[in-house]
Amino acid sequence: MNSIAFLKAAYIVTWLVYLGYLARILLGMKKVAAEREELERTTARGAATLRRPAS
Amino acid sequence: MEGRMKKIATTSILITVALLGITSYLALAVAPTEATMGDVQRIFYYHVPSAWVAGVCFFINFLASVWYLIKRTNGSDAIAAASAEVGVVFCSVVLITGPIWARPVWGIWWTWDARLTTTLVLWLIYVSYLMLRRFAAGGQSQVMAAVLGIFGFVDVPIVYMSIRWFRTQHPSPVMGGGANSGLAAPMLHVFLFNLAAFTVLGLFFVWLRYKMELAQQELESAHAQAALKGVA
Repeated sequence: MNSIAFLKAAYIVTWLVYLGYLARILLGMKKVAAEREELERTTARGAATLRRPAS
Repeated sequence: MEGRMKKIATTSILITVALLGITSYLALAVAPTEATMGDVQRIFYYHVPSAWVAGVCFFINFLASVWYLIKRTNGSDAIAAASAEVGVVFCSVVLITGPIWARPVWGIWWTWDARLTTTLVLWLIYVSYLMLRRFAAGGQSQVMAAVLGIFGFVDVPIVYMSIRWFRTQHPSPVMGGGANSGLAAPMLHVFLFNLAAFTVLGLFFVWLRYKMELAQQELESAHAQAALKGVA
């Protein structure tokens, strides 16, 4: 392998690591936001059930 | 919420690609070719700034850990977690690009000299920090992580000074290393620009990861409240 191949490899790996890490953070944020929305929906449903008078 | 997430994602990707693109262009097309090593020396413009950002992140982790032990605030714990993780990512790039640079120049991928070994130990310390945060059970994991963050930081100045204290395969300091150290002006300009750009990129990642950590903490507390009320 010539030195250009090593140079290319170093730059490609660096780009992949940083972009991959960014993707991981963004997917994590998306997952947390979705879980939060789901919890709010469940909580609202649960609260409505608790408020309903027993028949 | 969906629209806001899309906006954050698009902006983040644009910022990251722009910073990586400009720094790559400067390093590969603008910086002059080094006389001894040739083109492979251009790895320097990614390798050293990544090491610098890792050090900055571990310093932020150190400060946030001290602050957490004094004040016990969720914010300082979130900053500590975010900066440690980003520091590990940048340190990983250092440990990957270093051997890729070493192979054509030294003829070996790795050697157990003081700089390389202390850098690997640094990476292991902060990987163990992240594992502790993830897997430790009980309410004291944040305190234990803060203590590990403070003691772990001791290795950062050791890594920095290792090429001054010991005779190493790793080159002596390029800047501030005595009479024969220093960079030619065109190389120095590219290097300083990349150093600044990587610092912005690292701090941007820390900020994003901090926001995620806070959101996660809020979600956990919302789950606990809902469980107490018996509605979830």
